Amino acid sequence: MPVTSARAATIRGITTSVPSRRFDNLADTSEFSKEDVEKVVRMAGVRTRHLADDATCSSDLCLAAARDLLASLEWKPESIDALILVTQSPDYFLPSTSCLVHRDLGLSDSCATFDVGLGCSGYPYGLWLATLMLEKTGFRRALVLHGETPTRFSDRSDRSVALLFGDAGSATALESAGDEGSRQWWFSLNTDGAGWHDLVIEGGGFRDRFPEDRRKTFVSMNGAGIFNFTIRRVPRLIEDTLHAAGIPRDLVDYFIFHQSNQFIMRHLANKTGLPESKMPFTIAEFGSTGGPSIPLTITKGDLARPSDRPLQLLMLGYGVGLSWASALVDLPANAVLNHTVYRGAEARV
Amino acid sequence: MTESEALKWVTELFQEPSILTPELLRDGVKAWDSLGVLILIAALDDDFDIMVSDDEVERIRSVGDILDVLRRNGKLN
Repeated sequence: MPVTSARAATIRGITTSVPSRRFDNLADTSEFSKEDVEKVVRMAGVRTRHLADDATCSSDLCLAAARDLLASLEWKPESIDALILVTQSPDYFLPSTSCLVHRDLGLSDSCATFDVGLGCSGYPYGLWLATLMLEKTGFRRALVLHGETPTRFSDRSDRSVALLFGDAGSATALESAGDEGSRQWWFSLNTDGAGWHDLVIEGGGFRDRFPEDRRKTFVSMNGAGIFNFTIRRVPRLIEDTLHAAGIPRDLVDYFIFHQSNQFIMRHLANKTGLPESKMPFTIAEFGSTGGPSIPLTITKGDLARPSDRPLQLLMLGYGVGLSWASALVDLPANAVLNHTVYRGAEARV
Repeated sequence: MTESEALKWVTELFQEPSILTPELLRDGVKAWDSLGVLILIAALDDDFDIMVSDDEVERIRSVGDILDVLRRNGKLN
């Protein structure tokens, strides 16, 4: 499993955003038996979720997060050199959703802007791309947006996903590190396309444009296959990343897992010997929001932040693809961490 | 591990009140639903250091199939 490094950029801030509509899995059990719901809640660890309405896209959540972040950092839109939007719930097949966000943020004509179609592993990938751009191209500032609205592609009657997913967006501001740039960040980026069918929306794309069976426009998940993949790949992902970086696990302040399922995460913690005190959980409050669960866990995971040093974070994304990735990065003590609640159409303007 | 010990292990895993038999199919075990499959995969990993493949998981349809996995991995006499 190759691990690559890049000269560190600086994370200036992260803002996350969730829809205002909050759903308590235990309060409304009309779709399934109460016993079933309680079992899923107990095992998957999802008590509440924030759900996008039919008018809210992941781009709206990302836009709200980006606006908050730019305002907090006092960054002018024209100072952004690159915008990367990571999502598997785009507004349209074309144009790229990032172009719409580019318009709404008022970014400059010379801002490189593109989408990345990755899910659970998307955040480390997005950081890696931005870091390379800042290292190699002379760009100074990049925004990585990562948002998903999985509740909008989930069948409410499918127990394997209906109680699990929540929606979220995020914006991460990175800046060329300049003189601080002698440090390195480490990334491991991996794929096993043989498992593409374990998490898939079969219909609606160009392979099956207008499926007769409407259920094919919803996501289907082979939970056992995903779990099997996770316990095979993630422990080694942790080990290889730390080994390549030459950093003992004790020096990692937090292991930020994609919040896939509490049972799976706890099994990984046991298997790898990670103390749960270094492994924040946000799945109880937000559900599994896909890849954005990583930045969401940074902003909402109650991380203890010393004022005199950066936090060392190992981020771990794994799932749809199948794809898995890590990012070993530092979060400066003065980095902005915000969380916002998106209240709908009035916020889009 | 003997077969009776293995059956006891499966029974406790799925929290069944009485000892399960090898012939019993998945449908006959209440806790062996989609979440139960995850519990089984995790327990094989935790208790026996057995990582089953996706194909193996799909082929496990009865209590006896679980015993076969244990047998193939040298955990059952």
